[in-house]
Amino acid sequence: MKFVATIDGQAETVEVTGDHGRYRLTLGGEVWEVDARLTAQGIYSLLIDGVSYVADVTDREGACVVDVGDETYVIQVEEATRYIIRTKGGAAGGHAHQVLAAPLPGKITHVAVTVGDAVKAGDTLLVIEAMKMENEFRAGTAGTVAEVRVQPGQAVNAGDVLVVID
Amino acid sequence: MTMRAITKVLVANRGEIAVRVIRACREQGIASVAVFSEADREALHVLMADEAYPIGPPPATESYLVIDKLVAVAKAAGADAVHPGYGFLAENAAFAEACAAAGLVFVGPPPAAIRAMGDKTAARRIARELGVPMVPGTLEPVASDAEARAIAREIGFPLMIKAAMGGGGKGMRLVRQESELEAALRMARNEAGAAFGDSAVYLERYVAEPRHIEVQILADRHGTVLHLGERECSIQRRHQKLIEESPSPVVDAAMRARMGEAACRIARAAGYVNAGTVEFLVDPEKNFYFLEVNTRLQVEHPVTEMVTGIDLVREQLRIAAEEPLGYSQADIAWRGAAIECRINAEDPFGGWLPSPGTITGLRAATGPWVREDSGAYEGYTVPRFYDTLLAKLIVWGADRGAAIDRMTRALAEYRIVGIRTTIPVLAQIVAHEDFRAGRFSTQFLDRIMPALTSERGRLRSVAVIAAVLAEYERLGHRTLPEPPPATQDAWRLGHRRGWRRA
Repeated sequence: MKFVATIDGQAETVEVTGDHGRYRLTLGGEVWEVDARLTAQGIYSLLIDGVSYVADVTDREGACVVDVGDETYVIQVEEATRYIIRTKGGAAGGHAHQVLAAPLPGKITHVAVTVGDAVKAGDTLLVIEAMKMENEFRAGTAGTVAEVRVQPGQAVNAGDVLVVID
Repeated sequence: MTMRAITKVLVANRGEIAVRVIRACREQGIASVAVFSEADREALHVLMADEAYPIGPPPATESYLVIDKLVAVAKAAGADAVHPGYGFLAENAAFAEACAAAGLVFVGPPPAAIRAMGDKTAARRIARELGVPMVPGTLEPVASDAEARAIAREIGFPLMIKAAMGGGGKGMRLVRQESELEAALRMARNEAGAAFGDSAVYLERYVAEPRHIEVQILADRHGTVLHLGERECSIQRRHQKLIEESPSPVVDAAMRARMGEAACRIARAAGYVNAGTVEFLVDPEKNFYFLEVNTRLQVEHPVTEMVTGIDLVREQLRIAAEEPLGYSQADIAWRGAAIECRINAEDPFGGWLPSPGTITGLRAATGPWVREDSGAYEGYTVPRFYDTLLAKLIVWGADRGAAIDRMTRALAEYRIVGIRTTIPVLAQIVAHEDFRAGRFSTQFLDRIMPALTSERGRLRSVAVIAAVLAEYERLGHRTLPEPPPATQDAWRLGHRRGWRRA
């Protein structure tokens, strides 16, 4: 069964097979053999390559909040077909399309690209100032700048779409 | 000499340092006045001070950096002194002058000393005259990009761009090759302008694998200048310190005396008064080079307090009141080892991006020889306008090993929920064998981050697996074995649940 997990604004496809506590998951191009037990409601014991993890999974406003190790992750999980319908193609569309959304609130101090520019992976797209630091954001893939939705001086909220690369 | 009575202090700052100064005032029976921007009405320093007054909109340039507003509030509140903390206007001579002109005691050095030392290029000229060794670079700020390019070619790459009026890593950039110079200059100038109200920068040769070691000095108005030993501040990211300790694992008594003597010489030459810090780079052969003087209290001052037993903020206030220090260099003794970890609202495994937001859960570390200097509390919303520093966790141990063990324990106790912080990466650094062995330079963190990040990537994948399996179950694949009867460790589960109330 295929799922799409969205974490920190990134959508990843995850495939699950198996049953009775033994699963094989494919994510990020890797295959994970997992021995899972539910030890109490919402608390999973996972054994992966002999390493033991305890993951505390709770539901909060439709998202999964997972406590594992000393970290907390907020993850949206959807069955893949539903995700594709909802996003009209989404990440599973296979199209090299990059949407740069603001990962944090701040102020745009510099925009390095304009619509139509060809960019390489690693090229600077823009700079956001937040908490007194200038944070540079770079293209994740090569492509052409299709949209620039912000200009210098503009305040942005986390999640705002800033630049779209086709 | 007349003594100036200080009875009420305006703290021209915010966050943990404002809280630190308020505490020192309270311990000496001095009243405290806080100031706050519109983003800081609920900040801890406002809650803790005796009085608090608004000073304008959230951007620091319209509030914490506006000299006239601060002086007006100080006068209206009947304060007789102003403590600037660090950052903001702490190293701004015009602010010190404005305080003096309004009849307020500025808790810091005289304006002339701030000018002489606070301007890094002027400080470099003084150090050169005194024959204190230093790193090659410009003795004047660079005026234009063209001039910077010409000078950069002379110095050679890689080089450092530094803010002339800077400190704390702001406005500082490493430039590896000429093609990066222009963009780096622009970002350094922007950062310097935003942080210090002055965008002048200078260039300095880059020293490979250096340690950053600084010396704390105290100088009173009666001619006593002494040093309180060194702080090792080599664990840095983006040129900003993350972990500091005293003593340094590489400095012995003889080297401490030599560095301390050089620091005091520079302070005397500049007519320095109050607390200050002389920063040095130390190369792998233990040669030290003068870097700059910070004419203020440092973020990392607590490690010096822990090993010397001297309350630096109290001494700052006494010196400002024109009291003599009352002790000499021979009276300074160092005992044990202290370490400080900076807990910042940043995502260490997400490129150190700032992580403003609401702290939904907070449990600070406590226990034997643990000190927490914090500006945060549970329910507090970290604004996006200011520095990411939330709190400092400081421990003392009889020796360095004991201090590391104690810090490991304290970091494990410290929980912050709701925003990302540096706690997980701090825990991994103090557990690193090279850190424990004292084998590191300012490059250390950059070097080990890829390995730490990939470990974190694995944890992230495990979280995704757990979330997907939970959804798989929910969709009717009841394939997981039934949970065993309730025999789990109730304390542990109860504790975990406590942290789920997000």
